[in-house]
Amino acid sequence: MKILVSAKRVSDPNARLHVAADGRWVEGDVEYILNPFCENAIEGALQLAEAHEGTETVVVGIGDEDTARFLRQGALARGIDRALLVNADEAAIDSDLIARIYAAVVAKEEPDIVLLGKQAVDCDSNQVAQLLAEYLGWPQATFASKIEVVGSEVRVTREVDGGLEVLGLTLPCVISADLRLNEPRYASLTGIMKAKKKPLDELELDDLGLGAATPKVRVVAMSTPPGRVAGVMVKDVDELILKLRTEARAI
Amino acid sequence: MPDLLPTPFLAAVAREFPPDFASTDPAELHEYGRDWTRVYPPAPSLVTFPRTTAEVARLLALAHDLHVPIVPSGGRTGLAGGAMAACGEVVLSLARMRRMDPVDVIGATVRVQAGAVTETVHQHAAAHGLTWPVDFASKGSSQVGGNLATNAGGINVIRYGLTRQWVLGLQVVLAGGRVLELGGALEKDNTGLDLRQLFIGSEGTLGVITEATLKLTRRPGRLDVVLCAVDSLAGVLQLFQAVRQNPSQLMAYEFFTDVCLRRLLSHRPLRPPFARPSSHYVLIELERAEGLEDWVVGLADRGLVADAVLAQGPVEAAALWALREGISESLAATGVPHKNDIAVPIAALEAFTHELMAVFPARYPGWEIALFGHVGDGNLHLNVMKPADLDVAAFKARTAEADRDVFELVARHGGSVSAEHGIGLLKRAALPYTRPPEQIALMRSIKAVFDPHGILNPGKAFAADVKRSPGAP
Repeated sequence: MKILVSAKRVSDPNARLHVAADGRWVEGDVEYILNPFCENAIEGALQLAEAHEGTETVVVGIGDEDTARFLRQGALARGIDRALLVNADEAAIDSDLIARIYAAVVAKEEPDIVLLGKQAVDCDSNQVAQLLAEYLGWPQATFASKIEVVGSEVRVTREVDGGLEVLGLTLPCVISADLRLNEPRYASLTGIMKAKKKPLDELELDDLGLGAATPKVRVVAMSTPPGRVAGVMVKDVDELILKLRTEARAI
Repeated sequence: MPDLLPTPFLAAVAREFPPDFASTDPAELHEYGRDWTRVYPPAPSLVTFPRTTAEVARLLALAHDLHVPIVPSGGRTGLAGGAMAACGEVVLSLARMRRMDPVDVIGATVRVQAGAVTETVHQHAAAHGLTWPVDFASKGSSQVGGNLATNAGGINVIRYGLTRQWVLGLQVVLAGGRVLELGGALEKDNTGLDLRQLFIGSEGTLGVITEATLKLTRRPGRLDVVLCAVDSLAGVLQLFQAVRQNPSQLMAYEFFTDVCLRRLLSHRPLRPPFARPSSHYVLIELERAEGLEDWVVGLADRGLVADAVLAQGPVEAAALWALREGISESLAATGVPHKNDIAVPIAALEAFTHELMAVFPARYPGWEIALFGHVGDGNLHLNVMKPADLDVAAFKARTAEADRDVFELVARHGGSVSAEHGIGLLKRAALPYTRPPEQIALMRSIKAVFDPHGILNPGKAFAADVKRSPGAP
């Protein structure tokens, strides 16, 4: 069996981001982390590989050398067998182009399962797995909280309102991972040392036949929420009640 | 219990201060009469909430004249009972004095009142890319005045030192009501005795700190966290030597034993960091450590670490910190711990621990020892856990004896019986082990200069016990 997982870097959700002067993207000294849902997908692939001997695991990422760092430290050091880096400007691609890039990688790699994080926590689009399944014409199961391979079928448990849904999918298929799928492992020191020797191959968009591809969605504007207005001190309860009634209209 | 207080005092308080200045509400007496040391029942007579230094001065003048004991009170997060009012004292809460002046960005200082909460000072300075690097778990409640009065420690002492190092000026009110202005925003002031330092760490026994000019510094950059598995305490110290060679700024060097980790993981559903357990673990935090991976691999090649986990970003860093910071709570949740907070010179740590382990299990069979702490500062949190077959009362009784053994050992290795929690009420009996009688006598002489009637925090730290009931001349 062969499993393809993806790894996307996202800006640290705890960092304070600023909208650039041209209103388009964030600026400042942004620290990046590996998208937490990608970590669940990586852990899910590793657990499937441990349960099914002879399984090969491959990670794909889009970006530059900083994305390569996450492929090594976040995926290879944890135990993924090899990595593919697609060189592209992350800021200039949309979910649809990501799905087309992955579809081209799938055509080259021919995996049995593509396991992706259900969404990236920077833009929260939650589109890539669904678009990819459509481009490939493969069955899909989103928000997986449990994955088992039973004979020629993959059983995926999904958390739905009021309970659980268990789906059986034929192979090959696309699955997106939810947070409750697993608890990602830490990369051990031996894992980090091994990762240095694992293959990390670089691909250009031209290699994937997407050299001329353009995104279908562009960011028109970004804005921050309005700042908080300073509070006022009230003299007494009467004034408070008056303000609640006339200004805040809360009572 | 305001009936314990002299009538002229109560009359003056009612006459000279605003109506909301003092409270005898039982809920407030209970809340303001205690700190995080839940050992003594709170029993203050009165809680007062001054708004200005002038009000503090007037109250201390009255208390001095009428011999009324005063407990200065901040965020009450102390762990040694320094802010306890258990004998009918008057609590002087600084909670209403929380003004913060604008940050002096050029001098990197800020003047604040004593009741400013630590975290709000951080937020105030952060707007200018600065911070007051006094940081610990209780920062959301602890106040600047209390931090100064206890010379508080915390997790970044290895980088920034103690609170003492981040104070430029103090305003202090003495018993009798005299207001001292000690230093301003000066980095350098070599003019006679540095009286500020007497008040910092005096646990409210010499005067009431009402304002302070704090020294600020730039906020640190990205913090890299590594958790290392090490197979002995000697290894923890060897690793410390190697870590100090790293050119990046060391922010924290914390250690804990497998006993601590096992109790933590049995109490909270956290991810075990390593597939195979080790006897000791070290958490290292560095500021912007370039080439961290290669460096850690190098430590492994030299045999200094058995295994290591490198946090991939702030989420994992927080998860690794949780393994260290959750220990104290999980010990209390999984058993009955008896706590000591001791310091020994780093060079003596190994010999000290070796002797402790040689003596303790023989004399106190079945007592599990949970060791953790800021090993980079020589500070050990030594927790012994009650054996299941011993009842709590018998355990408590025997811990007094065990403390004597520990303190003798601490003294023999040139250590301190209280590294960062202070003496307060809780460690009074321990103080003589590492501070000889002539030093305690000197401390009391100094107190007599500032507070001749002994009204400020009587019975705390080195101060003499309350010999008379409040108000008796």
